[in-house]
Amino acid sequence: MEIDIRELENYQQLAHDGAQSAADSLSQLTGIQTNVQITNVSLMSSTDLKQEFIGSEFAGVSVDLNGEISGEVALAFDEKGRRAITDKLVPADDPEKKKSSIEEVGNIMSSGFVDGWANYLNARIKSSPPTYIEGTGTDVLPQSATEGDGHLFVFRSRVEAGDGVDNAVDFRILLVPDSTSLERTMQPQTAGGISFEKLEVFTDMTKEGAEKAATNITSMTGIDTAVNVSRLTLVPIEDIPKAVGSKRYVGTVMEYEGKISGFLVILFDQPSGRAVVDSLVPMETDEQWGDVEQEALKELSNIMTSGFVDGWANVLNAEIKHKPPQFVADTGASVMNPVTARIGETDDHAFLLDSSIETNSDQVFTCQMLALPRRDELEQALDDLLVENSENTRVDPEELFEQQKNGD
Amino acid sequence: MDVLITDDSGFMRDLLREILEEDHTIVGEAENGVEAVELYQEEEPDIVFMDIVMPIKDGIEATDEITDMDPNAKVVMCTSVEQAEQMKDSIKAGAEGYITKPFQKESVLEELNSIAAG
Repeated sequence: MEIDIRELENYQQLAHDGAQSAADSLSQLTGIQTNVQITNVSLMSSTDLKQEFIGSEFAGVSVDLNGEISGEVALAFDEKGRRAITDKLVPADDPEKKKSSIEEVGNIMSSGFVDGWANYLNARIKSSPPTYIEGTGTDVLPQSATEGDGHLFVFRSRVEAGDGVDNAVDFRILLVPDSTSLERTMQPQTAGGISFEKLEVFTDMTKEGAEKAATNITSMTGIDTAVNVSRLTLVPIEDIPKAVGSKRYVGTVMEYEGKISGFLVILFDQPSGRAVVDSLVPMETDEQWGDVEQEALKELSNIMTSGFVDGWANVLNAEIKHKPPQFVADTGASVMNPVTARIGETDDHAFLLDSSIETNSDQVFTCQMLALPRRDELEQALDDLLVENSENTRVDPEELFEQQKNGD
Repeated sequence: MDVLITDDSGFMRDLLREILEEDHTIVGEAENGVEAVELYQEEEPDIVFMDIVMPIKDGIEATDEITDMDPNAKVVMCTSVEQAEQMKDSIKAGAEGYITKPFQKESVLEELNSIAAG
């Protein structure tokens, strides 16, 4: 199956408009001012999607779609959002009415989300009556998203309240189209599409790279880590700083060049950054982020970057050289702004490869790896990618040196 | 053996020094490829541990220059890069060994001994 990337951009815009329409409906119904923070379309495995939802409580609706686009839409409020809505609409202590209010709000919002798609496609998309969903994590995900191990396109939006933390409403809309309608609507009209299989392979390679980076953290620091989520997302470049957010991080920014060029940003939340540095530099220093600490973190990032990027180079039979890393300590948005300004010189949308690494142990540890390749180069690389070569991400130097010595 | 360590990371140079200085003499530490070539000429070490990703001049270029000056030079790449093409470039430049980071003390000493044994 071939995917028209330009068409995917249009759908991303539609999802954004749909989310705005849903947010407007919510504001009208509840009086809570909202704005769309981000809308993107990701290619990810169902395992990773499930992982993203684990551990949080959600309530909302699910709707089946039939017509030009078939599939499922799930609109889920987090617990705080659910409470904000029900408190506004049903102040009385009436659980049934509270549930019904969520159902109705969800129904109106998901209609607002879907109708724009139907109008764009100049076709009918019929929605089933909404089904109330409530539960922890994966219980609220569309069934089609949790079956099997395949990859799926997930359109998602995050909307937040604009009038203070007390009224914060964070909800997500997930649209999981079935493969037939996805193929029909995204089929390239002209030459130049990207193979869905190659996108899947590249997403898997990225996850493997992140796993290698996590292994490198563990072997250098002794902190037990694993990849939590890994996905490839098409996102408007201007949305990237907002998506990374205003939380403070320490980490590195690294530029790479070659068959694929771009940036790799590695961000540790402050306690995690401190934990890795403490294990690398087991001595007291006067400064929190002095030269010694920065050097240690840069070297760790350097090794993580190789783990991440080298697999791409080996599969593509190409060189990807990375420059020495730059230390950063700032909010996520401030770290990303100069990077997106550089990538945004040539494009308004980018593929963001986003992996999060967390700890397996009780210790709290989170690290995000954000790769922003130049889009035209990534598309060319995907075009050149030989799927049968995709296992060759790792090379044994000893073997290669031996082969070269023997003239193989 | 006289060893020259080349790495832009002070953290990594310290780590290598700690591993090597028990049985060997560290004759110099270079922070980039240019310094490595200069120190090689001055100190004539028996072996060079060479990082690849460095500012000013990378490790592959520096290895090329060192082995041009001294065809008997023994250079071991000590790097996080695990790309086949860059490994091949290292071999072409004259490197005799390749250690990937993060490394264990044993693998560093093993590589050094194997190269010393010829």
